[in-house]
Amino acid sequence: MQQATQPPAPQAAKPKPAPPKPPAEFQEGAIATMDVAGLVGILTNTSSTEFQKAKACMRAGELAKKEAVPALAALLADEKMAMYARYGLEPIKDSSADDALRAAMGKLKGNLQIGVINSIAKRRDAKAIPALAKLMYGTDAEVARASASALGHVGGPAAMKELQAAMVKATGMVKMAVGDACLVCAERLLEDGKRDMAMTMYASLTGPETPKPIRLAAMNGIIREETSLTRPR
Amino acid sequence: MPETIRNQVLRGEGPFGYRIRVNAMTTRRELLKAAVAAPMIVPSHVLGQRAGAVAPSDKILFGGIGIGARGQHDLSKILKIEAAKFIAICDVRNERRETIKSMVDQAYGDRDCKMYDDQYELLARQDIDAVLIATGDRWHTPLSIIAAQHGKDVYCEKPCSMSIEESWALAAAFKRYGRLYQAGCQRRNGANFQLCKDLLDAGALGKLKTLYANVGPSVNWPPLPSRDWLAAEELPPKQVLDWDRWLGPAPWRPYHSSYVRGGWRNFYDFHGGGILEWGSHTVDMCHWAAGLDHTQPVKYEPVGGNTGEYSVNCEYANGVKLVMRDNGWNGALNTGSCSFRLEGDLGWVETGDSTTIACSDNIKPLLRPTEPASLALENHMKEFIRCIPQRKQPSASAAAAANSHVACHAAFIAFQRGKTLEWDPAKSEFTNDEIANNMRSRALREPWRI
Repeated sequence: MQQATQPPAPQAAKPKPAPPKPPAEFQEGAIATMDVAGLVGILTNTSSTEFQKAKACMRAGELAKKEAVPALAALLADEKMAMYARYGLEPIKDSSADDALRAAMGKLKGNLQIGVINSIAKRRDAKAIPALAKLMYGTDAEVARASASALGHVGGPAAMKELQAAMVKATGMVKMAVGDACLVCAERLLEDGKRDMAMTMYASLTGPETPKPIRLAAMNGIIREETSLTRPR
Repeated sequence: MPETIRNQVLRGEGPFGYRIRVNAMTTRRELLKAAVAAPMIVPSHVLGQRAGAVAPSDKILFGGIGIGARGQHDLSKILKIEAAKFIAICDVRNERRETIKSMVDQAYGDRDCKMYDDQYELLARQDIDAVLIATGDRWHTPLSIIAAQHGKDVYCEKPCSMSIEESWALAAAFKRYGRLYQAGCQRRNGANFQLCKDLLDAGALGKLKTLYANVGPSVNWPPLPSRDWLAAEELPPKQVLDWDRWLGPAPWRPYHSSYVRGGWRNFYDFHGGGILEWGSHTVDMCHWAAGLDHTQPVKYEPVGGNTGEYSVNCEYANGVKLVMRDNGWNGALNTGSCSFRLEGDLGWVETGDSTTIACSDNIKPLLRPTEPASLALENHMKEFIRCIPQRKQPSASAAAAANSHVACHAAFIAFQRGKTLEWDPAKSEFTNDEIANNMRSRALREPWRI
């Protein structure tokens, strides 16, 4: 071990080899500080490039103004831009963003539909529960898994009812997703002060028909809650 | 957990007004795993461990996902630990799968390491207890959560998350599933760092005033990574590189070979700049040393620009200050990379990867020899493996990592916003800037979610 009496001279930082330079057309520039009107202008201009639209969406997500909703929603069906559109929509608090995502969920298929479902989950849009419940039983297993997961995140008694019903019917990887969603839903119920419902949800997952990781997690939830110092006594 | 309740749970009697449906498929070991939320000591003989050699059936079986240069360093430690065996590798790149298989098979003298290109196939293996995740940063949280959902314990390289939202989702998933998580913050098991913590804990430094975390030189890791794209190059054949899968949850952009060769760092879509690159180590160490693993600073003041020296001056609710600073590659006192410094009202101490310990004169008589820095990673991996049969969370747990990473992300956002931000740890929100709040999460590319 060395002990420093006089601080030794610091060594110079090791500079890295220069990385490739982004070309002018792929530099964010003024978009980074643009207001919502300018961003909508880019998003609705048919001559805007993919790069410009991508950056405009990300900036729109930072500002989170409802004026950007129609322009962002129009990109939800674009394979390359859909994720950027959701990047813009997810933080917008106005309900028009929920309306746009719900409308798109009914029209899109495959990964694009899954992306929209994931954004609905993040926003915890309770109005989407009936549609999500229906999609859980659809033919696309990945969409079904995403829908189950979204129901868990939305949470509340209505989602709980749908998930408990699906837990009985689902099989394979969809059952795993429904089980995971049940666990998340139980946590949401706990957060909302609905402890009895949450504990019922956990207990319903402890049977042999439940996939093992879910079963163990449900037991974990029961033990955690019942030994919590804050549990009602 | 009280003994009576634990016994009732283990017998499935359920003292809570409903019956837990324990069944023939639920083993005692499963129940012990489920009880991870309530720490308890399990005698080693209960789990079949004996002094000396480890029986093959008692070994912790590892899989690995996305093992590149850094991951090979982690893997080399696993291969040296008798209580563990590495049995499977998953990577989207064929050459990397082959490299890891060759490394593992050579170490064990067999041909048993299985290769996968789909993480779900590897995670579906019931015999795998734990996974090493050493992919690019964008994958760390989603893959860790998927692994927890499959009942696996996880050792994951840092930075562990790409956003504040991901940090909390990670901690929630590992709590939900009762899985163990060790962030690759190996300096928590470095003797020179431990000595500094010991000096603080023993009161030698007096009342803690300021923590310093080196976030590395801006010439290497600027605090504001580029939001630009590189020029498009022709995509390689899918069997050589599946660009869609390489991008994973990150936003789409045209292919450029530089990203795949490690040049993804310093691009915002893939990287959190210097504050996350090194702060995920050094802020984490400050939290660990100061007993702040459960919280984050309440104020973040950015100073400086994207080139030259910079800092983010932070403050905790208890008045302790945290300075995330560009202190050069080796630190101004030549204590080595990833250095941290603890300053109290009676003295100060600073160390880094050189293991040199610089300190105030009054502390010098208390210094003692420490270990080589290279042992930190081995000790960190050993700690993780030791915790698995005990079902005890390792020191760099998902919850601890979430708190230190949220602090880093909040500082990163303050730097991007160019203004002092105030933060409410209880609500996990900024109280003086709505745009900053909108930057707490990043959308994931479909079909990925957390």
